[in-house]
Amino acid sequence: MTPALLFAWLLPVLCGVAAYCALDARAAPGRRVASLGYGVVLGLLLAAAATSAFSRADTAHAMRTAGPWLAGFAVLVGALAWWRRRGAAPRLAAAPGRKMQKWTIVLVGAALLSLAWRSWLALREILLRPTYPWDAWDAWAVKSKTWYLLGHYAPFVSARDWLAQHPPDAYTGPAWSYPPSLAWMQVWFAGAAGEWIEPLLNLPWFGLWLGLLAAHYGQWRALGLSRLQATLSVYVLGSLPLLAVHVALAGYADLWIATLLGLAVLSWLRWVEQRDPNQLVIAIVCALTLPLIKLEGTIWLLLFGAVVAYGAMSRRRRKLVAAAIVLLLLVMAIVGKLLLPLYGLGWVNVGTHSIDVPILGRLPIAWHAEALGGLLSSLFAQSNWHLLWWLTPLLVVWRWPALRAREATRLLGLLLAAGFAFLAFLFLATDAARWAESYTAFNRLLMHIVPATVTLCVLLYCAPRRARRGRASAFAAPPVPA
Amino acid sequence: MMRRAACALLIAAIWLLVLGSAAHLRWTAPLLPQQVRGFDASAFQVVMGAGSEDGDSLRVGAVGEDGSALQTVRVRQLQAREFSSLRYRFDGFPRTLELSFVFRRADAPDDVQTVTVPWPGDGWRTLDLKRVPEWHGEISELGFAEYATPQIAPESSAFRPFRFDRAELWSASWRGSFAALYTSWLGYTPWALLSISALGPQREVAQPAPLIPFLVLGAALSLLAAALLLRWSRARLLRNAVVAVAAVWALLDLVWLEDFRAKHQLTESVYAGKSWSERASLVPDQDVREAAEQVRSYLATQPPHQLLVVSDSKYVFLRLIYQMLPLNAVPLEQALGLRWPRRDARFVVYQSEQWHYDEALGALVGGGRAFAVEPVFEAGEVRVYKFRGMP
Repeated sequence: MTPALLFAWLLPVLCGVAAYCALDARAAPGRRVASLGYGVVLGLLLAAAATSAFSRADTAHAMRTAGPWLAGFAVLVGALAWWRRRGAAPRLAAAPGRKMQKWTIVLVGAALLSLAWRSWLALREILLRPTYPWDAWDAWAVKSKTWYLLGHYAPFVSARDWLAQHPPDAYTGPAWSYPPSLAWMQVWFAGAAGEWIEPLLNLPWFGLWLGLLAAHYGQWRALGLSRLQATLSVYVLGSLPLLAVHVALAGYADLWIATLLGLAVLSWLRWVEQRDPNQLVIAIVCALTLPLIKLEGTIWLLLFGAVVAYGAMSRRRRKLVAAAIVLLLLVMAIVGKLLLPLYGLGWVNVGTHSIDVPILGRLPIAWHAEALGGLLSSLFAQSNWHLLWWLTPLLVVWRWPALRAREATRLLGLLLAAGFAFLAFLFLATDAARWAESYTAFNRLLMHIVPATVTLCVLLYCAPRRARRGRASAFAAPPVPA
Repeated sequence: MMRRAACALLIAAIWLLVLGSAAHLRWTAPLLPQQVRGFDASAFQVVMGAGSEDGDSLRVGAVGEDGSALQTVRVRQLQAREFSSLRYRFDGFPRTLELSFVFRRADAPDDVQTVTVPWPGDGWRTLDLKRVPEWHGEISELGFAEYATPQIAPESSAFRPFRFDRAELWSASWRGSFAALYTSWLGYTPWALLSISALGPQREVAQPAPLIPFLVLGAALSLLAAALLLRWSRARLLRNAVVAVAAVWALLDLVWLEDFRAKHQLTESVYAGKSWSERASLVPDQDVREAAEQVRSYLATQPPHQLLVVSDSKYVFLRLIYQMLPLNAVPLEQALGLRWPRRDARFVVYQSEQWHYDEALGALVGGGRAFAVEPVFEAGEVRVYKFRGMP
């Protein structure tokens, strides 16, 4: 690795870790690991933002144009983190740990070894192979390659505008409307590499993978899991085959959405449990980033925002909101349509027979029974998720009292149920059914809620066995003093 | 003690039933095949590529001009219904090649049936022929074809010499059915474009039974049987269920890790120890990359133009556009129905039968449309035309 590349990695990670520490000054179990995990993910996106803001005129030297700004930001947030730490709330108590027996040490060792082995395979795969999966080059790398090889930014517009040469230097392509965040991140690393070397531009997916696992470990510890429980839970998350595939065959945006949604959920759960406003801010930052990565991120942001808002409401307000939703549905039934302004998607027209999304076109609503086989096969028969989707409903049923007893699991359950209902609707009731039949999209969209689903499973499994409804959670930590 | 013994027997019976169902076992079949028809590889004729006898084996040393090798043997009085398992053994078979079983039926002598089969690896591999729809009637010829693994292996570096040892056809038996199940569950599947979206659906015609549902069923029934026979308490049942889930999860993970390692071996065998510029040219679609290079070289000396790319395959034209970057190109199909391109636009046509240049009209014709053009560049299968307006 050249010094420039090393610097290109260290600077965003420093930036991200400093930003996380500035946002969350409170000491907690697993905080260092969490800050590293969040830091890698947020840092890479900060590098993308800095490149987008300062390197448009000279994309070949993003390090030179965006690097100083990023370094300045790192110093600033680093100082803020140091200053905030002095007046931070008292340390959160760790879950009572027991001395590990020999067999548990062997178990943890095997789990870590297994994670290390697949990480090594994924890293080698990234470092050796030119960008491979279809959308990785057709949708996500096409902008970064264009900008880097041109030496400057050029807008991507619709085919109609392109033919009219409006603007004259415009490009187009099937993915012209996709958010450019990941493309800018690749421009940052291409600038550091000094040429268009695809494996080096795909390496952030490996950083993302490590960030995903580290952030989950740290936050699960802060949510009350012991070291043993958190480590084995990280193994469960890291062993899911399709996640590793998205690292090894790097280039798709789905793992980013899954990670950011997973991180937003973790921080939000800490807000729900510990009333830590720092974590709420982090959750909001992660959630707001979703539409900047991929268009589907808008849907997850909406669902997440709705459940967060629902969780923050009093019972009376919840009833009012429920009434308002019923009213809206009635209006839709009478008028035949409902116009919703959705960030990133435009004015979405939801009708009883179709949904019109301006940048996607019309999605007729009709039941597609033939897609059900594809969905069931993806969930229960193929090797994508091991036993995750067999166990999740069983765990929910088995640990239903624990789910009801804890507000965090109740709200997370609601969010995941809404997310799953959305996916089921999309793939069974619209033309997207053909992608479920051909197995080309369902698993990738399902992946977006997989880390959050593992969090729910982990919290349910590790919850105290005799949790009763209304009883305070054993994991709930003292709130942050005002 | 009796209870434990009965429990062990019941669990063994459950697993036999579950695995037998997964293997589509005919329960009345004998344990070992009663009929075995063996073919030494040396009896096969090299139809494509080159090979030489090596004792009873056949050493395949080269592929034909189309990048594939084929070995066949003519057979007499071979009724498909009498044989339900195909066994094959190769030595040193490269990871970059895919293997197909080919056969010809007496009732359709002009049709060659091709079945993609699991990668041979070391030792015997078995295929359940009952799952191959075309395996019926009288078989007149059978053989094996080898070619660069589609979608993943660059053709130029896919072939390495290997040895074909032997093939056998077995009549229905427990051993044959379980061997086919073993091959399908624990065999390796190379990366494909679909791998990013789903792990499981394979190109093989004979789709195997999925592993996970049968493992879950076997584990669940075993737990139930043990709980009933050994009178487990609810707490003990839960504890043992957790252990069973962990064991099944770990087993699935080991299977996946081995598959992942094998997938990665292909990548190592193609790309390891090479510089980036060498690796960049070792893509599965090398022909597209070369065509893109030719167009880029030609247009390097010209002012920037809008390019409209034509090819019959969506993958090919999108890939060509990506490889031509930073040239400003768009698929023609995306522009059809919109306004006409500017006069200085260029058409890039590659591997297209739907679109052709009509010399008499001086136009590029296809899909019921025509564009007046002038040929300006040609190299191999790639052609560039200058747009002149409506014909």
